[in-house]
Amino acid sequence: MVQVINLTKRYGQHVAVDNVSFSVEKGEIVGFLGPNGAGKTTTMNIITGYISATEGSVKVDGFDILEEPEEVKKRIGYMPEFPPLYLDMTVQEYLNFVSDIKKIDRVTKKRSMEKIMDMVKIGDVRKRLIKNLSKGYRQRVGLAQALIGAPPVLILDEPTVGLDPKQIIEIRNLIKDLGKEHTIILSSHILPEVSAVCERVLIINKGKIVASDTPENLSKRLGDTGRLAVRVAGPERQVLKLIRGLAGIKSVESTGVKEPGTVDILVEAEKDIDIRRPVFYALSRAEYPILQMKPLDLTLEEIFLQVTTQEKEVS
Amino acid sequence: MLAVFRRELRAYFLSPTGYIFMGFFLLLSGFFFAFSNLFPASPSYINVLGSITFIFLIAVPILTMRLLSEESRQKTDQLLLTSPLGVTGMVLGKYFAAVGMFLITLLATCLYPIILSFFGTIAVWEVVGGYIGFFLLGSAFISIGLFVSSLTDNQVIAAVVTFSALLFIWILDWVLQGLPTDRASGIVFACVVVAGIVALVYFSIRNIFVSVVIALIGLGGVAALYITNEFFFDGLIVRALEWFSLLKRYEDFTMGILSLSPIVYYISFSSIFVFLTVRMIEKRRWS
Repeated sequence: MVQVINLTKRYGQHVAVDNVSFSVEKGEIVGFLGPNGAGKTTTMNIITGYISATEGSVKVDGFDILEEPEEVKKRIGYMPEFPPLYLDMTVQEYLNFVSDIKKIDRVTKKRSMEKIMDMVKIGDVRKRLIKNLSKGYRQRVGLAQALIGAPPVLILDEPTVGLDPKQIIEIRNLIKDLGKEHTIILSSHILPEVSAVCERVLIINKGKIVASDTPENLSKRLGDTGRLAVRVAGPERQVLKLIRGLAGIKSVESTGVKEPGTVDILVEAEKDIDIRRPVFYALSRAEYPILQMKPLDLTLEEIFLQVTTQEKEVS
Repeated sequence: MLAVFRRELRAYFLSPTGYIFMGFFLLLSGFFFAFSNLFPASPSYINVLGSITFIFLIAVPILTMRLLSEESRQKTDQLLLTSPLGVTGMVLGKYFAAVGMFLITLLATCLYPIILSFFGTIAVWEVVGGYIGFFLLGSAFISIGLFVSSLTDNQVIAAVVTFSALLFIWILDWVLQGLPTDRASGIVFACVVVAGIVALVYFSIRNIFVSVVIALIGLGGVAALYITNEFFFDGLIVRALEWFSLLKRYEDFTMGILSLSPIVYYISFSSIFVFLTVRMIEKRRWS
C-alpha cells in the first residue's frame, strides 16, 4: 500500500532522513518509534506530500507522490503532530470545510461527518469554537479531520500526545478499530503505546531505521522480562545471598529500604530465562514473603542503546 | 478553491480584520465624498475615486497580512497542502477572498454616486469606468500583499513589508523623475539586472558552471543590443521601473478613459504575483 524507497531529506548540511526504505501492506498498523528529532515527522511529512524529499520516492497504492500528488493525497488522511485547526471555526464548520477541500460530494458529506463525529466522540462539542476546546478535544478533531473521505491510508503523528490516560486508551482502541479497514502508520515516542496498538514497529534513530519487527519479537530480542523489581519482607543480606544462589541470575542488587522491615532488590536474569518462579519458591521456602514483584519495562533510552549497539555488532 | 474562498471570506467577518478594513475604507472614502462632493455641491464623483487611492497603502496590508502567514504559523497549511486541493487552488481561493472582501466594500461606496444622482446628473459611464479601474488597481495591490504574506509567518512583518512595497510604488513616479536617463546608466542597469538574475540562479541551484554560462549569455545579450540598437539603453532605468507604476495607468480611468491596455496590464500584474506566490510556497516545500 505504501512504499518508501531510499528516502533522504537534507536541510543544508543536516540529514534529517537518511536513505530510509520500508513498505507497509494493506491493512497493517505500523508504528514509528523514535526519540525527538529522529526523523519521524519529516518522513511522515514527505509521505503525505507536505514537503518534498531530497532523494528517493514514495508510492501510495502505486501512485508516485511527485508524479500524481493528487491521487496520493486523496488516499491519505493525515493527522500532523499539531492538528491543523482553524481556531475561529466551530467543529462542524471545520469538518465541513475539510470535506469540501477533500472534494466529498454533498450527498454523503453529512452522513459521513455524523459517523466520524460519533466515532471520535466530538458530537457534543460540534457547535463550539475550536479555540475554546481542550487539548484532548482538539486532538480528536484533528483525528476526525484525517478520517474524512474514508482514505485507505491513515498517517497519525503522535496521536495521543497531550491526552489524559483515559483518553489515551480510548484513542488507542479507536486506532485499533480503524486498523480493520485502514492501513495505518503512526508515530510515537512511547514504547507501550506502539506495542499496544501496532502489528509492526519501525525504530528510527538519527534518520535511519535501526530495527523493524513485531512488538513481541522486539521485546523478546530486547529481553524486557529479564529484570525484576522485588520487595521482600526479610533481612537484606540473607535475601541477596539467597537470590544469588539461584541458577540463571546475572546480577542482584539492593535498591534500599522503602518500607520498614523490608528490602527492595533488583534482579537481572540471563537472557531468555524466566526467573519469576524460582525467585518466588526460593523466598517462600525461606519464609521471606514477597510483597511486590514486577518486571521492569525497558525505557526507550535503554532500548535505543540496545538496538544501536546491536546494530553496530552486526555491521 | 471555492471552499478556501468561502472560508477565507467568512474569516474576514469572524475576526476584526474585515471590519477594520471596511470601516477604515468607508470612513476615509466617506470623508472625501463629503468634502469634494457634498459640501461644494459638485457632481464630479470620479475625482473622489482619483484621490482616495492612498487608502490602499494602509487598507491592503490589513487585508492581506493574515492570508498565508497565519496559515503557516498555525500549521494549518499542512491541512491544505496535504489535501487534494493543490497549491494553486489554495492561493487562488485566498486571493479571490481578499479581492471579494474589497469588492464588497467597494459596492458599499456605490451609495455615494447614487446619493449624488438625486441632486444632479452624474456621468454614469465615467463613474463605472472609474470603478473598474479602482477595482483593478486594488486587486493588483492585493496580489502584492498576498505574495508578501507567503514570505513570512509573522503577520506584522507581512503588513510592514506590504506597506513598504506599496509605498515604493507610490513614490515611484516621483523617484523616476530624478533617475539618470543617459545611455551609460542604462548599460550599467542592464548589467545589474543580469547580475541579479545570475545570483538568483546560483543561490537556487548552486551550480557555478550554469551560473557563469547564464552570466555570459546575459552580458552577450547586452553587448549585442548595444551594437544593434544602442538607443535601447537611453532611459532604460526609467522605462524598466515604469512597468511597476501602477498609479500612472490608473490616471486614464480617472480622466474617464476606458482603454484595454491598462486593464490587461492590471490583470497580468496580478496574475504574475499570484503565480509568484504559488512558486514561493512550492519552493518552501523543497527547501
